Amino acid sequence: MLMQSSLRAKLQEAFRVRMYFYMAVAAVAFAALILQLLNLQVIQGKEYQARARINMESNIPIPAARGDVYDRNFKEGEKNVVLVSNRASFNLTTIPAKFKSKKKLYEILDLLSRLLKIDKDEIIDEINSGNPWERVVLKEDVEFDTIVKIASHPKKFPNIDWEDASVRVYNFSEMFAHAVGYVGSISHAEYRRLKSEGYKHYQKIGKSGIEKQYDPLLRGRDGYVRRIVDVRQRTEGEEIGQRPVAGNNLVLTIDYNIQKIIYDAMKGMKGAAIVLKPSTGEVIALLSKPDFDPNLIISKNNAAIIKKLQNDKQRPFLDRVIQSKYPPASTFKLVTAVAALETEKATPDKTYYCPGKFVLKGYRDHVFYDYDVHGTVDLHWAIAKSCSVYFYQLGLLTGPTIMMRYAEDFGLNQKSGIDIPGEVAGFVPSRQWKYKVFGQPWFDGDTVNMSIGQGFLHVTPIGMCEFVSALVNNGIVYRPHLVKEIRTNDNNRVITAMHREKVREIPLSPLTLQAVKKGMRLSVTSGTSGRLGYLKVPVAGKTGTAQTRSIRQEKYSQHAWFVGYAPYDGPPETAVATAILIEYGIAGAASAVPIAERIFAKLHELGYFTAASRQKQDSPLRKQPEAKQAAVPAPGQVAGRDAAAVKKTYGNPPGIKL
Amino acid sequence: MDYLLVIAVMVAVAIGILMIYSAGFDPIDKMNSGLYRKQILWFIFGLILMIGLTIINYQALGEFSLHIYIVVLVLLIITTIFGTPVRNTRAWLNFGVFSIQPSEFMKLALVIILAKYLEIRERDINRLRELIVPTILTFIPIIIILNQPDFGTAIIFIPILLTMLFVGGADVSHLVSIILIAAIAMVVPMILTYREWIGAESSNFILDFFKDVNLILIVSSVLLVITIAAFMFHFFSVKKFLRKIYIPGAILSLGLLASVLIQNLFKVYQKRRILVFLNPDLDPQGSGYNIIQSKIAIGSGGFFGKGFLKGSQSQLGFLPEKTSDFIFSVVAEAWGLFGGIVLISLFGFIIFRCIQTAFEAKDKFGALLASGITTIFFFHVLVNIGMAVGIMPVTGLPLCFVSYGGSNLLMSMISIGIILNIRARKFVY
Repeated sequence: MLMQSSLRAKLQEAFRVRMYFYMAVAAVAFAALILQLLNLQVIQGKEYQARARINMESNIPIPAARGDVYDRNFKEGEKNVVLVSNRASFNLTTIPAKFKSKKKLYEILDLLSRLLKIDKDEIIDEINSGNPWERVVLKEDVEFDTIVKIASHPKKFPNIDWEDASVRVYNFSEMFAHAVGYVGSISHAEYRRLKSEGYKHYQKIGKSGIEKQYDPLLRGRDGYVRRIVDVRQRTEGEEIGQRPVAGNNLVLTIDYNIQKIIYDAMKGMKGAAIVLKPSTGEVIALLSKPDFDPNLIISKNNAAIIKKLQNDKQRPFLDRVIQSKYPPASTFKLVTAVAALETEKATPDKTYYCPGKFVLKGYRDHVFYDYDVHGTVDLHWAIAKSCSVYFYQLGLLTGPTIMMRYAEDFGLNQKSGIDIPGEVAGFVPSRQWKYKVFGQPWFDGDTVNMSIGQGFLHVTPIGMCEFVSALVNNGIVYRPHLVKEIRTNDNNRVITAMHREKVREIPLSPLTLQAVKKGMRLSVTSGTSGRLGYLKVPVAGKTGTAQTRSIRQEKYSQHAWFVGYAPYDGPPETAVATAILIEYGIAGAASAVPIAERIFAKLHELGYFTAASRQKQDSPLRKQPEAKQAAVPAPGQVAGRDAAAVKKTYGNPPGIKL
Repeated sequence: MDYLLVIAVMVAVAIGILMIYSAGFDPIDKMNSGLYRKQILWFIFGLILMIGLTIINYQALGEFSLHIYIVVLVLLIITTIFGTPVRNTRAWLNFGVFSIQPSEFMKLALVIILAKYLEIRERDINRLRELIVPTILTFIPIIIILNQPDFGTAIIFIPILLTMLFVGGADVSHLVSIILIAAIAMVVPMILTYREWIGAESSNFILDFFKDVNLILIVSSVLLVITIAAFMFHFFSVKKFLRKIYIPGAILSLGLLASVLIQNLFKVYQKRRILVFLNPDLDPQGSGYNIIQSKIAIGSGGFFGKGFLKGSQSQLGFLPEKTSDFIFSVVAEAWGLFGGIVLISLFGFIIFRCIQTAFEAKDKFGALLASGITTIFFFHVLVNIGMAVGIMPVTGLPLCFVSYGGSNLLMSMISIGIILNIRARKFVY
């Protein structure tokens, strides 16, 4: 009994010891819980508060209105020609996570892709790469009738929603396709590059032309609504986080009337035309053919159309004014003439006899032909009649080095610096270049070819127009530009008025200019550009017909050139210069000159040459008192070109000065 | 009657009901799911059962422990076969207006029968063979519940068994051996699952060994045969040094055999869940998501919380399972560190009172019963709050008294009834 009770006591004692141990373990465990609670709520509290905010806040963008684009005749408070504007539209959207299963979602997408002709795979890619609770745009710019139909069949189209959106409208379709450009959905590459500048993946971005160059000004700044959402993205409350700031309106230097004349005149052709004012660099018209309708390619589901246009052999996306190089042909004779006169290798009275061909003596004689027998001609008549034999000999007399130097001085191997992206520079050969590429020295035959603009020379239409500008403006060249004024979106107040910017000055003697201009005038009155002679405004010009060796299967393996200006001998301030190129046209006189004829007639009709008062009023030289200094994109910065390279080319940093 | 304990329990239940109200409130539709009303009904029912259990003598529970055990076990089996599947788990018996979860009552039934068994075998419990019956009694419900399958509920039976054996007087070296076997059994499948999951390629011969289930089987079987031979030899010749062979041999071979069993018995997602507990970043979208959201809810509560109905994580639905698994996170978000410590202190007090009851019980059965109930509460609180704050795996155990769920609340209230009963009778012989 005693043993029993002592055993009982021992067992009882053992039990108590173990229960104490148990209590200690429990106390440690509770302490651990409280310590971790302290850690989460006090030490890491701020961090978790931020994460809770991220969870519940969802910022909904309020898109900013993109700025409108007007032509040069814009007048405040009047009915103006609007080149580009916006229109209200609907986007069809969905939230993928609202569907019960992927299969259901794909079925709806399948149905919609058949009804609305959208690319299903593209949207599935987008859905799978993003947050399933985020809104996905299925199709942009859906017709109202379609929205009504979908809205009235919610059973058939579950979870399909729509939102207001604005669509860019190019009111004249193809007419300004290359000058103004177009917008499109931001690409992955663009987004990566521009993310730091505030671009968002759902935004539109200018893809070419003015739209691209001035995108930072046109786009404005999106605002956003701060929404408190639950885990299913349902809204609990919202407030305006930031109001949107509309983009600026742009007034272009382009004249709708001139652009339309060229557009109509070049119907069905392939080529480029540029009209500009040498005294300021204002571009009055800029047109490239073939073209495309920007309205058809701006929305999200047009990848197929864009691809088709990109692969088109006619290359409609190519802006032939600034992105295409051609042999300058006979228009280059003007450069040869300037080079010879300036270096005093010849005087305008210098005559050569033209028997219709020229024999270059050498190891083996080489014969260069002319298209006609011109007899004895001086420089003026050689320009007027485009006598090649004259220039063969003048070229040999002057020498290639001097011709190359003048071609370079006129900037034919440089970009003009126009404020639309994608420009290419022309090409002027050199002795070193030829030796490097062909392993041969420069032959006299090369000089002969070069003197009439054939051979290795290649220039852009805008480059030739710049050259004519230099002649008109006594050797001073201003940077060509398309934007005249930047105005506010709401009340069209002028923020910045663009001013001319000198890019180069070539010292030319008045004698040289007079001689060359006289030849160009003679070309109009009784030479190759004779068709322009009857116009009320005195026009001076030069035709050219470039032989291209590479493509023989085309009907006409020739490019037709016309460069010129008006009025001949008038003050440079009223002058307008042009360069026209027709690919595979008949000779310059036959295909390019009629276009020039219509341009100059219209310019005259609109009073470009006569109304001095009007010119003054339109002149951007006028100081804008209310205009403020604004950050205007220089071509280098916006187009992504190397600004340093531009600086090297022009000496001055690019940018439009007030 | 211990009014302090009753008040503590009622405060805990009241907090729970408030939190279920808040979790059921939709700030967008301005509607409430009404779940809290059901919980109030369960609480009233639980209160009646609690008071009812203070009237009868708890020693009667000991007399009928086997009956209780068998009845609940039958219910459990019926549930596992005919139960209404909820999220692929047959854990509930549906009675139309309400449903019960027999596995909750199984916890209590197991504690009662283990208390009774350990009382009867009090003097011999330090022998290894006396551990066989409690282990069988525990593993029968575990295997049934694993077939429901309800991993979280099944796993809680093991700490209940081990703790009861410990306070019941089992040899500590035996318990340590069992824990070692369990550890080996768990570590091997975890390594295999982890390597398979992350697609590890580099390898060495030890890992290659673990990869081959048949190889483990052969090696552990050979080891087992050697162990048995050593044990037999020891049995007949009484050579003491042989203990150094057969004890580690038995631990290793049994552990490896159990690991093969676990590797094949447990579903991949269950094994991954434990891995995700160890490293939530492994699965930020899946079960790791729950832990991360719970930590955000608790952490963003700060010192004093965001206020009742103002917690963004719980009100806007970012916090999952907010009425059951993560109800503590709702409390800590709404009432901050203050609320969290108040709730933990309440549980601290309830558990302290249970341990005190175990000390003061007039007989061994009462003491063991009270310590078993302590263990139920302690592990539920530890695992549930531990999982909410991110230091325990996501097992889906409810927080007693607070989480929504009639069966757990009833079981907890009955347990408190038993504790009150034992305390009330500590001087009655």
